[in-house]
Amino acid sequence: MPIIIPTLDFAALIPILAIITTGLVVLLLDIYVEDKAVLGYVSLIGLLATAIACFGLLTQTVAPTFQNMLVSDGYSLVLDLIFVVTATLSIMIALSYLPARDMQSGEYYALLLFATSGMMLMGAATDLIVVFLGLEIMSIALYVLAAFNRRQLGSGEAGLKYFVLGAFASAFFLYGVALTYGATGSTNLQTIAMWFSANPAYAHNPIAMVGLALLLIGFAFKIAAVPFQWWTPDVYHGAPTSVTAFMSVGAKAAGFAALVRLLLVSFGAIPDWRWVISWLAVLTMTGGNIVALAQKDVKRMLAYSSIAHAGYILVGVVPGTPDGVKGILFYLMSYAFMNIGAFAVIALLEQRDQIGSSIESYMGLSSRKPLLALMMLFFMFSLTGIPPFIGFWGKWYVFWAAVKGGASWLAIVGMINSVISAFYYLSVVVQMYMRSPTEPSELEFAPLSLPVTLTIALAGAVTLLLGLWPTPLIKLTALGIFG
Amino acid sequence: MSGLYLPKEYLAILLFIVLGVGFGVVTLWIGQFFRMKRPYFEKLVAYESGNPPTDEPRMRFSVKFYLIAILFIVFDVEAIYLYSWALVYDKLGMFALVEMFIFIALLLVGYFYGWKKGALQWEK
Amino acid sequence: MSFPILSLLIFFPILGGIALLGIGKENVKGIKIMAFIVSIFELLFSLPLWFSFDKTTYQMQFVERHSWISLFNIEYYLGIDGISILFVLLSALITILCVLVSWNSIEKKVKEFFVSLLLLEGAMIGVFCALDFFLFYIFWEAMLIPMFLLIGVWGGPNRIYAATKFFLYTLVGSLLMLVGIITLYIQGGNTFDILALAGQHYPVKLQLMLFWAFFAAFAVKVPMWPVHTWLPDAHTEAPAAGSVVLAGILIKMGAYGFLRFSMPILPEATSAMMMPMLVLSLIGIVYGGIICLAQTDLKRLIAYSSVSHMGFVTLGIFALNTQSVEGGILQMINHGVVTGALFLGIGMVYERTHTRKISDYGGLATNMPVFASFFLLFTLASVGLPGTNGFIGELLILLGSFLTKPWVALIAASGLIIGAWYMLWLYQRIFFNPVNSRWNGIKELDAREIATFLPMVILIFWIGLYPNSMLEYMHVSVAHLLEQVTGNTAGIPSGVEVAVDTAVKATSHLPQVSH
Repeated sequence: MPIIIPTLDFAALIPILAIITTGLVVLLLDIYVEDKAVLGYVSLIGLLATAIACFGLLTQTVAPTFQNMLVSDGYSLVLDLIFVVTATLSIMIALSYLPARDMQSGEYYALLLFATSGMMLMGAATDLIVVFLGLEIMSIALYVLAAFNRRQLGSGEAGLKYFVLGAFASAFFLYGVALTYGATGSTNLQTIAMWFSANPAYAHNPIAMVGLALLLIGFAFKIAAVPFQWWTPDVYHGAPTSVTAFMSVGAKAAGFAALVRLLLVSFGAIPDWRWVISWLAVLTMTGGNIVALAQKDVKRMLAYSSIAHAGYILVGVVPGTPDGVKGILFYLMSYAFMNIGAFAVIALLEQRDQIGSSIESYMGLSSRKPLLALMMLFFMFSLTGIPPFIGFWGKWYVFWAAVKGGASWLAIVGMINSVISAFYYLSVVVQMYMRSPTEPSELEFAPLSLPVTLTIALAGAVTLLLGLWPTPLIKLTALGIFG
Repeated sequence: MSGLYLPKEYLAILLFIVLGVGFGVVTLWIGQFFRMKRPYFEKLVAYESGNPPTDEPRMRFSVKFYLIAILFIVFDVEAIYLYSWALVYDKLGMFALVEMFIFIALLLVGYFYGWKKGALQWEK
Repeated sequence: MSFPILSLLIFFPILGGIALLGIGKENVKGIKIMAFIVSIFELLFSLPLWFSFDKTTYQMQFVERHSWISLFNIEYYLGIDGISILFVLLSALITILCVLVSWNSIEKKVKEFFVSLLLLEGAMIGVFCALDFFLFYIFWEAMLIPMFLLIGVWGGPNRIYAATKFFLYTLVGSLLMLVGIITLYIQGGNTFDILALAGQHYPVKLQLMLFWAFFAAFAVKVPMWPVHTWLPDAHTEAPAAGSVVLAGILIKMGAYGFLRFSMPILPEATSAMMMPMLVLSLIGIVYGGIICLAQTDLKRLIAYSSVSHMGFVTLGIFALNTQSVEGGILQMINHGVVTGALFLGIGMVYERTHTRKISDYGGLATNMPVFASFFLLFTLASVGLPGTNGFIGELLILLGSFLTKPWVALIAASGLIIGAWYMLWLYQRIFFNPVNSRWNGIKELDAREIATFLPMVILIFWIGLYPNSMLEYMHVSVAHLLEQVTGNTAGIPSGVEVAVDTAVKATSHLPQVSH
């Protein structure tokens, strides 16, 4: 029997390969290099190279390759850029955060890069098996990263919780893949779609429906959608802040990346998932926001708010249109900047035993650190969705797509939720600007170290400037179409 | 049959599951009507090859055991790939050779990393 | 017009605010002078609008139009007509007064205060100049941030509650409006151009939905009863400058929104909703007035009087005839001037006494005769004494609403009586009652404070004695607006048409008040 080697177009793999290579180099350098910060900078260089590669590829389309398992289309490349931004900002935070807590080590950067490669794989995958592969590469690295602060009980708890529930979610996902395969005879997204259009009579057969439901549950865990969000607050709160920043954006983006492609490509013919996603969005927005209201700790509050943001993004999934997809990409990119910016501020203020993340530690910040407070104000208003900050455009794009796609009621629910969220985001601003500072003895500041300061400045500048002039990002995300 | 679609191919598996689970449950359930029940201390003690247990069953193993186990798995998996690869090598030619070298090189990076980090030393 | 004067007006204060950041924190005096210079120049820059405005056309003037975000067809589209020009000028003027009144009363974070104030000014002018609905929305929302800070950082003891309440109330309204904007965009041929949106015909059902969506935003801002409850808190807790901006400009934006968006874009819904709007306005007038009588807090009283006065404004707007709408617009200016002046006065006296309780005052006329005379003038203007601006506005509104629905005018007139009651009673309690010995050594107004009052005094008499100089700016635009509203009502069974007809006939016999 002759063996036909499938066409392997490595161009589709360039971003992923670049990241993995960087990760391996970091791993090997870790053995010899004493100053672990160097590894962080090596990672940054690798990420920069990846970004350049992504930009270079953006103009070319690569057909699905590796037996239709992978594709390098506008969608995956824009996502790659989102992941690169997320990883870059997180590494910059880590460069300041880790040494201040005696956690500096080479594995951190390597694991973060491997997690990024897993995310990219999820964005580029056109086969459920590859999605699962990416999911596991990402998740396993993240489990370790969440537990990275070995000396702290909370971090260990975060790692364990994330691991157990993540494994649970993976099992759901895998079972969903198995059932979908059972129903349609393929794990390939395109082939599944073809099966559905060829067998419309069987479109609602129970196996396929249960399979889709299980896949959705698996993704809902990963993107922290209510009611599958229980792990989120503890994990985000317990994990080192630099990891939380990375997770809250990257893992979410990766989950959405695969979810959107799956729903739109494979299940586009059966729109039943729309009302499921609609209600998931409503629950997620409302649940996340209402619980966030009660939080006294800024880091935990942002954890809950990230649940709510997953809900806003889900609103963009519902219409199932290219507009919705672009809106999601825009939202994710803007969320990367503003959310990681906010976490960077927390990382800067946070003390060893998580004292600095309580809301009281922000009292009178504007008197002590005016610029830092101003940046935090940017992030908070941006997360609320107030113009002229970038967060406004993200929400606008997603809600616009929803209204255009005939889901106005979801947009209204989203708007009401924005108001609820305004309440707790404002409370941070209130603490910073309208209350007097606490006794200075209680909180001494870690010396402002350059990388994290740079992260905050960069994220703040982008949050404002792209808010005033969002066209570049709109143009970039407009390239985000399925190949 | 419109709307409801059940792939016939899986019927055997379903049957197998039902029979498997059913057999276990039914035998256990029926058994209790016939067997004798006389529990006493020695009978309830955990079975340790006939010796009385000396320790708590939940003891911590050194993490080194796990490292060894993981390293073993890595090379085990490698061996599986190598077998199948060797079987079709002559049909694939140069391409397969390069691919396998990349694969082994990746494994070597991990091996080298573990080695240098002291994962192979039992005592440091 | 080749020179982008409106952009200059929007961005000059914003850039000035950013430039202020460069001044050292300790150089308090330099910061104040710089802020003053910026606000003065802003007014000077706005004067060409007044002089070169073409009063004979309803077309937008000083238009600037550039593509901003092409994907959504969002444009950077500015322009003003007879309705908005006065507000632009008023914003520029009031900001100067705000800078002056804050000269000594702001003690902490001086730099941040003036930066917020100038950013706010830029956004306010942007709101009045925007002809792109989306651009309007951006300015509208962006305004929230500096105002939130102004109230929350430099306000009174209960400032955080007030600031948050203000922010959330406004945000709820704005976001509902945003849904309306998106719907309008999709229904109205993918454009945010206000003029293009106004030229189309929408199904009545859709119009009604949109009307209420816009109502949510504008009514909160005005504020109309029953969504007015944020205003007393915000006014009471805000620093003097904040109250002045709030009373002078911010709450006018709600009414401006009705004029600019609800009426021309949704004419049939406006006609159909005339009665509910009139009733809400009447409730606001009477309810606000009665509440005033029970107030013990100086600022709170003026705040509730704003509810009552803004009731007149919305009454005028929704009575839908030339007199009433022009009266409504004029009354907005009047209210901005008079209530602004009252808040300025309260700010000055609060700086000296640090109390807002009315019962703490008494006999202030003995110690501060100059201040007492200024305040008397403002009180009388607020009551609507002939010869002051308040009279003209209220007369036009009552006249117009009488032509539409006589009983409405009747009830509204009772609001005037209540107004006279609480204002004069307030004046008596503060200035005439037995002298409270606590204020024996109190300082009389200094030159800066008198200078702050003077523009207001001039405006009060100017509008009061020669209203046509203001009204002539709006005649054509208002006529065009009403034509847009009533010209499209052919299919709608409503009393409006008849009323407007009668109004036109009736006015031809009446002496022309404003001419």
